[in-house]
Amino acid sequence: MKDYAIPDEPRPGRLGHLVVRPSAPLLALMLCGAWVAWPWYIFNAIALGSPTRRREIALSVGAVAGTAVLGVVVIALVDAGVIESTTAIRLALLAIATWKIGMAYAISTLQARTFHVYEYYGGRVRNPNLVLIGGFILRGAVIGLFDSTLWRIIVAGYLAKGGL
Amino acid sequence: MDSPQIRAWLSASDAMRHRGDWHGAIEMLRRVLSEDPDHARAHASMALALLGARRIHAAELEARTGLALDGNDGFCHLAAAAVLRAHRRLDEAWQHCLVAVESDGADGDVFVLAAAIQQLRGELDEARELLGRALELDAADPDALAELARLELGLGKLDAAAERVGEALAADPGHRDAHRVAGWIALRRGDVADAEGHARFVLREDPADRDNLALWAAIKARRSWLLGVWWRWNAWATLRSDHGQVAILIGSYVVARLAMILAAAVGADRLEEALSWLWLGFCAYTWIAPILLRRMLARDLEKVELDEDF
Repeated sequence: MKDYAIPDEPRPGRLGHLVVRPSAPLLALMLCGAWVAWPWYIFNAIALGSPTRRREIALSVGAVAGTAVLGVVVIALVDAGVIESTTAIRLALLAIATWKIGMAYAISTLQARTFHVYEYYGGRVRNPNLVLIGGFILRGAVIGLFDSTLWRIIVAGYLAKGGL
Repeated sequence: MDSPQIRAWLSASDAMRHRGDWHGAIEMLRRVLSEDPDHARAHASMALALLGARRIHAAELEARTGLALDGNDGFCHLAAAAVLRAHRRLDEAWQHCLVAVESDGADGDVFVLAAAIQQLRGELDEARELLGRALELDAADPDALAELARLELGLGKLDAAAERVGEALAADPGHRDAHRVAGWIALRRGDVADAEGHARFVLREDPADRDNLALWAAIKARRSWLLGVWWRWNAWATLRSDHGQVAILIGSYVVARLAMILAAAVGADRLEEALSWLWLGFCAYTWIAPILLRRMLARDLEKVELDEDF
């Protein structure tokens, strides 16, 4: 007889010992940038064996794609002279930052439902500080990897000046 | 027809659920559903146990499964109503409650839940009538008396509320909801020490319950304005759904950033900088305040022993 599985119960696999709180990737978005946050959400969903992992992965991929689309639109508007003033550019960047933070909160909320059950049943939770500190140190190097505004828009976080 | 083994598991899970042993009830119901995955009442009962354990999304799925398996069962509608009430989808909750109220096996639990939903919808007369029906079935029903006390408290009738809650506690001295209501009544009367006694009792029973924490935070807020600010913000934000909370957080972020951008646009650079620091401070405060509160709570609960009266 197979044990009945309640819909929110995780099925952690071999990577289960690397699970972090869903607030860690959210903090990474602020401190390190989106280049750490989105892959970390995906990794955590897989490590946790979350029953909603497909949705979490789709949201993370959608967050990157949406940021890229918004970035292309903003750059095109700036190039076309539609957005000129510093204030207008900052407002446009605010829209992108809001998109990122909205997606991050949405994924965190979804992942937290499974995480709380995982934690309740004694699942191991890894301290995220090493990744956060490493990501913070490497932030400048990663953001400056390509001389491209679109690249910076996609990989940056949202606490720096200008909202990205 | 259920086997004797399934009947025994269901009965044990009901007993566990009624005394607040949510996890014991969940494990018992897991056995039932492993044996019979299409048992509608077990799914409904599982929904209620999961709700007690604050796993409301899983509870919603279980309640839906129960209803899909038997859409005419009053108990399945009761579970759906309880889950929808937790999600603050009150109109839908009331529709399910109506079916449960009109079903043959409607008991005190159904009337009390229906009254609680109507109270949240602002239908106070109807809530009172439903509680009257629950008390007709059992005049000493502590659930109904505690709910009636909450109704009187909401109307500002503190003496009537105290009388009802006294009756509830006489019927069941360990009734958590009655202690919570008694705590709020004491707080409204300015008797912080009495309120704290009731809060300590319920927190010892369940330190993670949001309602218990709300009472405790309100007591703390009477003594510290800083925690008071946090509590008012948190109570306002957390009473909403997950989506509502995310919307509030993002809304706060957008408003703060817009204020900074507009300050810069009019050349008020120092104001922009001040707003930026204020926002960072707000983020840090909302991040650490719940952790601080939980630690304080754990320390306070470890330090003080309860009186025998509680």
